[in-house]
Amino acid sequence: MNEHAPAVKPHHTVNYMSESQASESARPSETMAIEPEHHKRARTLIDIEHVDFFYGKSHALHDINLKIKEKLVTAFIGPSGCGKSTLLRCLNRMNDLIDGTRVANGAIKIHGVDIYDPAVDVIELRKRVGMVFQKSNPFPKSIYENIVYGLRLQGINNKSRLDEVVERSLRGAALWEEVRDRLHDSALGLSGGQQQRLCIARAIAVEPEIILMDEPCSALDPIATAKVEELIHELKKDYTIVIVTHNMQQAGRCSDMTAFFYLGKLIEFDATEKIFTNPSQKQTEDYITGRFG
Amino acid sequence: MSTSAKIKRLDQRPMKDAIMSKNKFRFLGLTLDDFIKYFFQGNALIAIVVLALITISLFSSGIWFIPQNYQNLVIYRQAGLEYVDYLRQEIDDHTALTRYLSNLRLQQMQLLLKEGKTPEEAQAALTPLDTFITAYSDAATPLNDMLSEQTDIAAAIKDKHNSQQEELHGKEMLLKAGKTEEAAALQVEPVDFKTAVHPLLDMRDTYIETNGIFAETLSNLVFHPPKMVSRSLQPKMDRFRDLSRTYLIELPKYEDQIMNWDQFKPIPKYKALTSFLFGRQWLTASFWQDWYGIIPLLVGSLTVSFVALVIAIPFGVGAAIYINQIASPTEQNLIKPYIEFISAIPSVVLGFFGIAVLGQSMRWLSQQEWLAWVPGFPINERLNIFTAGALLALMAVPTIFTLTEDAINNVPRAFKEASYALGATRLQTILKIMIPASLSGIISAVLLGLGRVVGETMVVLLCAGGRIEIPDFMQGLGAFFQPVHTMTGIIAQEMGEVVQGSIHFHALFMVGIILFLLSLVINYLAQQVVHKYKISIG
Repeated sequence: MNEHAPAVKPHHTVNYMSESQASESARPSETMAIEPEHHKRARTLIDIEHVDFFYGKSHALHDINLKIKEKLVTAFIGPSGCGKSTLLRCLNRMNDLIDGTRVANGAIKIHGVDIYDPAVDVIELRKRVGMVFQKSNPFPKSIYENIVYGLRLQGINNKSRLDEVVERSLRGAALWEEVRDRLHDSALGLSGGQQQRLCIARAIAVEPEIILMDEPCSALDPIATAKVEELIHELKKDYTIVIVTHNMQQAGRCSDMTAFFYLGKLIEFDATEKIFTNPSQKQTEDYITGRFG
Repeated sequence: MSTSAKIKRLDQRPMKDAIMSKNKFRFLGLTLDDFIKYFFQGNALIAIVVLALITISLFSSGIWFIPQNYQNLVIYRQAGLEYVDYLRQEIDDHTALTRYLSNLRLQQMQLLLKEGKTPEEAQAALTPLDTFITAYSDAATPLNDMLSEQTDIAAAIKDKHNSQQEELHGKEMLLKAGKTEEAAALQVEPVDFKTAVHPLLDMRDTYIETNGIFAETLSNLVFHPPKMVSRSLQPKMDRFRDLSRTYLIELPKYEDQIMNWDQFKPIPKYKALTSFLFGRQWLTASFWQDWYGIIPLLVGSLTVSFVALVIAIPFGVGAAIYINQIASPTEQNLIKPYIEFISAIPSVVLGFFGIAVLGQSMRWLSQQEWLAWVPGFPINERLNIFTAGALLALMAVPTIFTLTEDAINNVPRAFKEASYALGATRLQTILKIMIPASLSGIISAVLLGLGRVVGETMVVLLCAGGRIEIPDFMQGLGAFFQPVHTMTGIIAQEMGEVVQGSIHFHALFMVGIILFLLSLVINYLAQQVVHKYKISIG
């Protein structure tokens, strides 16, 4: 499992492989008890309450309850098809784009407002809840135009303002030094890792509060992955991040909280350290130790 | 655990036998694969051969037009037709001025009647103008008489030449048939153009004299034009005076042409082609002189296609975007087959519709008072560029729609999602991402639609009006309500009637070549656009 370990060692590395063996005695009732202090103090930003989700007739999410804390990195893990991406895409209502999808029960509240309320303006919601996709998807435009796309949508065309945002966003995405001389070249000429960081820069250019990342590193090589992970660590100072990942080490390295999903159900949600060292559920332990999934 | 003995293969042969191809089933030394390969190869080859044959036949027939047209131009000069046409030009220009005056009179009359004058009063008020017009028009009468005399002479020379050519042809046929004696009996006198045009040249002295009187009469008239009754029409009268003066100043130009005409001045070879490519007249079966100029037909084809595209692009592209991006699945299933069905309507049925419904109702509509502001309204001809263009648009819409929809479909879903995730509305996503990303596909769709429209025959034959004339673009947008004829239309209409091997027959082939080249260029461009920009979509 460790063959994908990055060259750069991020801050929050948890060596769960050795310690996970000691988690046999976990008790399900005590899930919240071992939360580190600063996690407890953090405010709840996204409150997912009893959510059921359907693709047509197939029941993709069953009664999900989850509280995502402000300015922390929350990782969703689980085997393919467990519903983690689906839940992520519910948070900015990207699932609306797919015909026949619906949230049947429950509510997803951000700052206490149910985002599925008919009175909610989805466009405004998505400006506040940015998203980075699995496959980097820069527009076939210049680097500069990619970054300012979201701003131009809002009618901002002031050159100096745009220049400023481009620099700030690219610096924020740790890409500025690499592309500062070719801002007006096509974004498609960048490497895969650079493209993905460009997509992150594009997302933060519109100054969201929350950034959703749907397996952002799955198509990247280890070095590019390390850079993105470093970036995530930087970004969490200003943004609340929710990240879906298949890579267990990645969840361990860069997240504060981890939610484990299996077959459309939330199995366990806890501090990352706890999940990887002492999970309370047998299924979680089996998954993270690589016994299935 | 498993040994090879336990595996039950369908083919029991040992591997070294099975993999040798010489053991395969063969017929005439060929395997089944070979047959299939040669069958398809043959099909592809036949397609190429047929295409090559079409091209060769088109060009090998069309090429004969050039020497024939050259001969045509030589006769035009040597038989004196060109000489007579100089005079005709002078008189035509004068007639145009007279027509301008008559128009002015008509406007004045209508204005007076509108002001509440009785017809008699109006007539009385117009008397000075009428006298002027009559005098102006009559000034050219002596020249007109001279022209008709000269026309007769020149036409006679040409007729004589033509019948002599026919006799020569008959003699050749006899010789070919082996009837030498009969052929020898046929004495063909070649026309001596030099002596034949003498009567024309002899008239030059009279012409100078007549022209002098003509110029004097006109200048006397022009320097004292009558005042218009209505002040509002006076600028038009002033304009007439200016035009007339210009005409007078340029009169010596016609004289020079006539006096310096050289019957045997050689005609440059390229004229045989350029008089076709840039000729502004397509005039056939005329007693005087046939002209084969493609410009009116080309302009007709292009204007009709232009109108068709202007209508079809918004509909085709708009429908494609709607179906692909906005419509619900039910709507998609309903609308898509309908649009695609349009292309199944036979074009002759569309032509019926164009004549009976569209043309008729457009004319009715154009006569409505409240639409009088539309340029070109009211329209005189129900069959015109617009009628044909609108119907052709209907034929281009399915092509443009289907290909544009494919192009939009090919835009990666990721672009769309990225745009929405940044807070774009649906309209913004369509305009800023979907359309730019699929632009190359859309352009090639439009070009292929254009190819379809340019080559369409039946609709333009039925609905374009069939007048072989360049539309008067001075009328602005109103020009699009004038009848035209098109390249495809003229071939379909005239090919059945012409004598095989005649210059007219070959001229039609030349039109076919131009049409062929035009389609080739359009298709080539469409392919280039797709190749060049495909990569950028990723």
